[in-house]
Amino acid sequence: MHVKNADAFVVYSLSEYAVTVQFDDRINADMLERIRSFNALLHRHPFDGFRTTVPAYTTLSVYFDPLDVMQASRLTGINCFERVSNFLHGLQAGWSIALAPAPDPTPIPLCYGGAFGPDLDDVARQLGIAAATVIELHSAAIYRVHLIGFTPGFAYLGGMPKQLAGPRKASPRNKVTAGSVGIAAEQTGIYPLDTPGGWQIIGRTPLRLFDTGREQPALLKAGDRVVFQAIDHELFERFSSDADADSDN
Amino acid sequence: MRIAIIKPGLLSTVQDMGRWQHLSQGVPRSGAMDALSARIANLAVGNTIDKAVIEFTYADALFRSEDDLLLAYSGDGAVLKAGSYVLPSDRPVYVPSGTEICLAPNASGCRTYLAVAGGWDVAEVLGSRSTYITAAFGGYEGRALRPGDLLHAADNHTAITAAWCRHLWGRAIRYPPWAIARGHFLPPNRYSIRVVPAREFAWFVGKSVVDLLSAPFTVSTRCNRMGYHLEGPALHRTVDRELISTAVVPGTVQVTGDGNPLLLMADCQTTGGYPRIAQVATVDMPLCAQLKPGDMIFFNEISRSEAEKLYLHRENQLNRLAASLAMHTPTM
Repeated sequence: MHVKNADAFVVYSLSEYAVTVQFDDRINADMLERIRSFNALLHRHPFDGFRTTVPAYTTLSVYFDPLDVMQASRLTGINCFERVSNFLHGLQAGWSIALAPAPDPTPIPLCYGGAFGPDLDDVARQLGIAAATVIELHSAAIYRVHLIGFTPGFAYLGGMPKQLAGPRKASPRNKVTAGSVGIAAEQTGIYPLDTPGGWQIIGRTPLRLFDTGREQPALLKAGDRVVFQAIDHELFERFSSDADADSDN
Repeated sequence: MRIAIIKPGLLSTVQDMGRWQHLSQGVPRSGAMDALSARIANLAVGNTIDKAVIEFTYADALFRSEDDLLLAYSGDGAVLKAGSYVLPSDRPVYVPSGTEICLAPNASGCRTYLAVAGGWDVAEVLGSRSTYITAAFGGYEGRALRPGDLLHAADNHTAITAAWCRHLWGRAIRYPPWAIARGHFLPPNRYSIRVVPAREFAWFVGKSVVDLLSAPFTVSTRCNRMGYHLEGPALHRTVDRELISTAVVPGTVQVTGDGNPLLLMADCQTTGGYPRIAQVATVDMPLCAQLKPGDMIFFNEISRSEAEKLYLHRENQLNRLAASLAMHTPTM
């Protein structure tokens, strides 16, 4: 199914070597699909000097080599910004959002509570529901990766049940262990590395969220769908040793 | 060609021109903070500009040549000395095996770059040899250099490097009677930083915009490769909605909740949620890389197209420099 895209976007300069395509200034239901679709289109039809893109909630930033852009005979405009934004507007003119079927959700095994989820009981108390209900709600939802940022591979997941929305921790932890799953406001996210963090930690996954040995180092990318599958400690250990064995190969 | 690190100094890491291909995965660009000095050091030994160099922070480091070396250094953090003998910067220098070289303080800046013929040979991770300490990958084992580390140079020399090696080889420290005029690339006032108004510039009240572009800002002690917190008049907003997180790059000046500017540097996050008041012209990032806590800077507004012209001019200057160095290679 193809839907003609009638909405214009705005292109603004981020630096000499990057522009940002602003699709809208609010997070819309179809925003992710529009960004994903335009990003895929650009990767299929890159311009001379194109380097890479960074998708975010409502924007797609496009990075390029200014020297190559200025030398590209097929780009028009008196400077880099004009040349790249003309190209992007031209690409948009012939763009129809291909509503690709939503990707299959990536299952993330998650061991809730205990030492792996030290804030689970606090979260339940603040919300006035049982810890088991928090787990039930959190693992029933299908999430969408809106953005990878903060640290390599950190996925901001939208789609958390509103009943779970709550404040961050009053003071951030100095170290959140890699694999920890946190919630903050209406988002949930997985810490890929041992870093400081202020989200309420409700569990931990044995999966490696970031591994420089993989072609796509982050397990997730913007636009992916994610589900959490509650597992117990025993299964967590089994997954962990499998992951170690994989990385040794 | 190898060197052994005896004293690493405050923070010494292997860096190149950075990691561009995984920004969408949240992987920062990293790379040399002062890309101009890093490139000049590389060009001086005949390397291509993208070779890995060592970035030293301040002085107080010491290393020993384990082989005969062809090296070059550039930057404002230190002066290299063999005993009391000062090695000149910004040109190829031959150093015989077994020479101990220390970094002596140079009060004018912060970072110094050491290039070696062929470039420092560390594994490429995600398309770059730059160290990213937070995630412990890239560079030398994903970490800062430590005493006892042994760094090897790659031996795929360019014709220019090979010619300098032949020309300068001997028993004592030797170098040609010229230097690359790095100062020629930089504006006379190194504390005046040119900026382009950024996307959320208009979110700030008039007085704060005037303050940003006229008042001095001091680099606080909270400064590292990720960014510098600056102190000055508080910058107030007229718009109090939150910014939806979007891409930021080194040089982006964000304004944090307390109204202070945060200047993002090489290891900054790929996305951020603070409003962006200004973007430092890329040609002035080498100046920012040399700032120290307590340094006072002024921001001066230029237009987007002016910043772009300066950028292209700088790149063309460096290309011409590389071509001219190739023409002036010694022949035997």
